[in-house]
Amino acid sequence: MRGQESLGVKLTLFGVSVATVAALYALFAAPSVNAEAFTAPDAYRILYFHVPFAWSSFLSFAMLFIGAVMWYIKRSEVGWIWFQTASDLGLIFGLGVVTSGPIWGSAEWGTPWDWGDLRLNTFGLLTAVAMFLVLSRRSQPDTPATRDTLSAIGLFGFALVPITALATTWYQERHPGVLVIESEDSGLDPEIKTLLLLSFFIFCIIFAGFVRLSNHRYRLAAQLEQLKSDLDKGAIQ
Amino acid sequence: MGARELLSVNGLVVNRGARKVLDGVDFSVREGEVVALVGENGCGKTTLLESMAGLHSLSKGVVTRFDGGNESVVRDFDGNRGDILGFGLTLQSDGICGEETVRERIITAIRISGHSPEDSVIDEMLSDWGLGHRASDNVSQLSGGLRRRVAVLSGLAPAVMRADPTVVLLDEPSEGLDKASRELLAGWIRSLSSLGHSIVIATHDYEMISVADSVVSFESNGSLSISPGESLGNASKIPSPTTMVDVSRFSEFINWAWRMEKRNPIDTIGRATPALVAMLLAFTFATDIVRSTENYDLIAALVLAPAFITAVAAPALLKRLSEERVGDWWRAMTGSWSRATFSVVGASFILPIPILYLSWFVIAGDIDSSTNDQVLKWLWLPALSIIDVSAAAAALHLMVSDLRRASAAAGSLLLLVLVWPFLELTSALATIMESGMSFELAIGEPLSDILISSFSAVLVWGVAVIIPDE
Repeated sequence: MRGQESLGVKLTLFGVSVATVAALYALFAAPSVNAEAFTAPDAYRILYFHVPFAWSSFLSFAMLFIGAVMWYIKRSEVGWIWFQTASDLGLIFGLGVVTSGPIWGSAEWGTPWDWGDLRLNTFGLLTAVAMFLVLSRRSQPDTPATRDTLSAIGLFGFALVPITALATTWYQERHPGVLVIESEDSGLDPEIKTLLLLSFFIFCIIFAGFVRLSNHRYRLAAQLEQLKSDLDKGAIQ
Repeated sequence: MGARELLSVNGLVVNRGARKVLDGVDFSVREGEVVALVGENGCGKTTLLESMAGLHSLSKGVVTRFDGGNESVVRDFDGNRGDILGFGLTLQSDGICGEETVRERIITAIRISGHSPEDSVIDEMLSDWGLGHRASDNVSQLSGGLRRRVAVLSGLAPAVMRADPTVVLLDEPSEGLDKASRELLAGWIRSLSSLGHSIVIATHDYEMISVADSVVSFESNGSLSISPGESLGNASKIPSPTTMVDVSRFSEFINWAWRMEKRNPIDTIGRATPALVAMLLAFTFATDIVRSTENYDLIAALVLAPAFITAVAAPALLKRLSEERVGDWWRAMTGSWSRATFSVVGASFILPIPILYLSWFVIAGDIDSSTNDQVLKWLWLPALSIIDVSAAAAALHLMVSDLRRASAAAGSLLLLVLVWPFLELTSALATIMESGMSFELAIGEPLSDILISSFSAVLVWGVAVIIPDE
């Protein structure tokens, strides 16, 4: 148990340190984009965070899906721990996306948000689902019925992932297409594509660290609850 | 018995529809007395106990308390309610919001009765009641029995802290408690009695009845008969009283509501979500065509609509107050101005200003710059008026919430009256867009329209708050 916590701390610290170096590199040394293809060429550098935030958020919802299914099928406590961790991470990374996106949008499009863009709005909804799950978990009694309801909503959230991911392919309004796969079409330098993948890899390390720590924390919380339940019996002397 | 009276009930008549639940009840409780109210289901035990807490309107009679040597009317048949300090009350439903922690609940119950004990005293109480390890848990996470322990302790704690005699009202306190908790309850009741406090218990439980010094039985003809009780049970060790401090019950309620909202911001999210959806729809309607026609009324209405929706949405406070009769517990504690307080606290203070500005940016952001400058400079004024509208809406929601059955939902139609202030604000914003801000107090000028909007909202608030409560 202690090893889990230690590995989680190491992964998180390593990930955050490398991300800091990558952030400095992205801001000051990464190649510039074609100035004619963008309204605010320098603002693109925030994408080194925005895009990995988005992918990590999708990873969180994939984990949420697995946790919800494990809870439904096996009534698995491990599944529920995954669900809790994934909803927390979905919210953290989702908020990262919906704050970094409008900063870039303000510079590039002249407006922070486009209500007519499917990608933006489905991502907003995805983050709202994560927020709902986190707040509800904290306020509702932890009963099987509560877990069932939240799992069902989590599955709905996961169903939004492919819609959000493919939104720019199906229905592109303002949000750019899939940068890494379609980078040649978008005029991005291959080095930028490599750096984006590297940023995502760094975020994956942070993600893994968070998962370790958070799972450990929820396991401890479950043990604590069990101990408190044991103490409830005979607590009045 | 030479002890002085702490509470008296004179000529009490309480009706439920055409039926008299209590008919001319006279009853008093003296210092140090433990009274058990007993009788069949539906005989009126709970109604009498809750009337003593000031929770029922009386057809006739008066309930008076004499705590601290002062005579105060709890409630009379005219609806008058005196300034009663918070006191020990355990309702049949727990009266605790699930988002409160165990420790917070006990501290709130104590503080509202005018005491501010040290942490060690709270720890001691919680430990005695087997709740020490649960102190920081939300009440919603507790089992029914533990939750009941918290409710009973929060009823007893104010008297424990108080040096001069006071009254504690307990409705079916032993319901759901295990044997050890019932024995502890009996011990604490005897301790409080030995210190001069009076305890009134509505109960069916023989164990509780046997603790009482006198037993008040509800007879089938509606009269009360009083017989001596057994006064069984040994006094337990309880914490020592503390000195009284000056505490505002209303600020305690505001703190409580703010704490609950910070922990789970359902009010903010519940209001912001429909506002954002409305903004999205308004954005769709506010096309370039609408803007190019200079249809200022339409644009103003579309800009104001999201903030107005934020204001008229049912406050989350309503849900919190209806959970396990939390609202009744707070009504007993805050007295005559409870609905006014609830409606002001339930209003949306945070959202109208940011929502209105956001709405302007989204819907009319690319309007010409001189109009834009004027609106940005003065948009906060209609936003303040929307806060007044929100207080009026909260008061209407609270008024309707008193009608408990689901069919009373149609009462929300009363909110339509708030369309008037909305139209006034639309007119004000349209004028600001068209001609800029003006401070003339003439009909049709923006400042007058905003003042009329606020005044009409305050009028609706007053009608909703004062008339039904008194």
